[in-house]
Amino acid sequence: MMSKLSNIWVFSDIASRLPEMIAAGVALGEKVSTFVIGTEAEINAAFSYGATHVYYLGDKDSQKIIEDYSHTIAQTISATTENTLMLLAPTKRGKALASKLGVQLQAGVVNDVTEIDIENGVRAKHMAYGGLAIAEEKINSPVAIITLSSGVYEAQATDTTRTGEAVNVAFIEPTTAIQCVERRAKQGESVNLGKAKRVVGVGSGIGSKENLQVAAELSALIGAELGCSRPIAETEKWMERERYIGVSGVMLKPEIYFALGISGQIQHMVGALGSQTIFAVNKDKNAPIFQYVDYGIVGDINKVMPALISALKA
Amino acid sequence: MKIITCYKLVPEEQDITVTADGNLDTNKAAPKINPFDLCAVEAGVQLKSLIEGCSITAMSVGGKALENPKARKDILSRGPDDLTVVIDEKFEQLLPHQTARVLMAAAQKTGFDLIICGDGSGDLYAQQVGLQLGELLGVANINAVSKISSAEPGKLTVERSLDDEVEVLEITLPAVISVSADINEPSIPSMKTILAAAKKPVTSLTATDIELAEFPALVELVSVIAPEQKARQKIVIEGDDEQQIAQFAEHLRKALN
Repeated sequence: MMSKLSNIWVFSDIASRLPEMIAAGVALGEKVSTFVIGTEAEINAAFSYGATHVYYLGDKDSQKIIEDYSHTIAQTISATTENTLMLLAPTKRGKALASKLGVQLQAGVVNDVTEIDIENGVRAKHMAYGGLAIAEEKINSPVAIITLSSGVYEAQATDTTRTGEAVNVAFIEPTTAIQCVERRAKQGESVNLGKAKRVVGVGSGIGSKENLQVAAELSALIGAELGCSRPIAETEKWMERERYIGVSGVMLKPEIYFALGISGQIQHMVGALGSQTIFAVNKDKNAPIFQYVDYGIVGDINKVMPALISALKA
Repeated sequence: MKIITCYKLVPEEQDITVTADGNLDTNKAAPKINPFDLCAVEAGVQLKSLIEGCSITAMSVGGKALENPKARKDILSRGPDDLTVVIDEKFEQLLPHQTARVLMAAAQKTGFDLIICGDGSGDLYAQQVGLQLGELLGVANINAVSKISSAEPGKLTVERSLDDEVEVLEITLPAVISVSADINEPSIPSMKTILAAAKKPVTSLTATDIELAEFPALVELVSVIAPEQKARQKIVIEGDDEQQIAQFAEHLRKALN
């Protein structure tokens, strides 16, 4: 049985991320104290996800940005004496808050954490070098601050009969001035390869821009999003940057990844290794891609792609 | 207005290899300016073109790599007026809370109205330095800046592209902002700017010069290793005749269902 910390603090600036943050709190702590900015319904929601205590920072205020609450949160946490851990959503606001709290509380911070170990102090793992490696860091300070990647802890079933203790927290004015003058919805969602269930990746071996059309047809046929290797996006500029897979690009987690004319350099593969099943077509049987596949075929892309298309249509 | 743009040298990720025991070998990976920091420099250069009487100091803290003349010329060819580097052996592998403390001491020494950092660096991608630096300096600070809309003495208006919305913020200077990679497309230095870079002043400081206080080890790096690989089927069909392609198609069809 893993030991638990006596209290974990939780905050998410985005409502949809709160259940899994609280689930992490429940897994790692006896008490789960959640900061809430919003309505009474949101306090109740936090309890229903498993929070034992809610520290209520008041209703949403259009004049304030989330980061304005750093002093209020720091003050509340520093009032407790035990060693503790604060978990934040891995959003831009979560990270800004994490760093500010890190300085205010003299606390160690680790972002985008994919694994937490609290056996001997707090240890956290996160991706480094664009995915080539996993860094493990040990937080030595009494307060440890972590922004937790999504999907690390499963949200628990919501139970609306659960209640807990709610405490009103008075707002502490920030010491420096950032004024929010406007908020607006983000313009149209662009492609999100990271969430696609099937992805076809195109590499330099595709040969020509015309062949991209064939790859797109194959991709559409299997219900996949089209992605590419870095040279296709950066050297050839045949596809947008948000479609390139690998180091400093997109990290995939699809059920199927299908690599077309991709040699399989580790810098590309780190973006694809999270795939459940990997398929590849490449004419060079010594290409590194074949070290990473579940199913591969050594062959000419000009021949294999059309033949596959007709086979799949049959 | 005195602008500082911070940058870090990181190994060229395309040349990093993974050894059999899972360690990263960066020996063949030449140090380059962290790509996110190129956006920070570019943001500084664009800002300078908007306001009169603006100067840009590029700043970095680290180990011996910062002595490299090519790397110095590279950063200066991007547009800063001068360069300040703080070099010490013990800055070789700084963690973000330590980098922020060294930069704080250096920035206090040189003075500033605005410090621009990248949102993160290509090595540890900790995404903390700019924010912690601003907080340590006790000035306004924010990350994820995707646009600088306007600047006037003492005030900056920026946009921040977040997960769910865009915030338009007025920031009172002095301040530290961290910019995201989508803020601009860094321009490629021309031969003229490369030649001019060689003549720009460089100040090299030591930990003593900036009166650096002992800094804490709030976090320590335990290990950096390549992730374990999932076991794969590795069924590879050699050859692309009709039958072989049909066989491959059959595997694909099964996986699709």
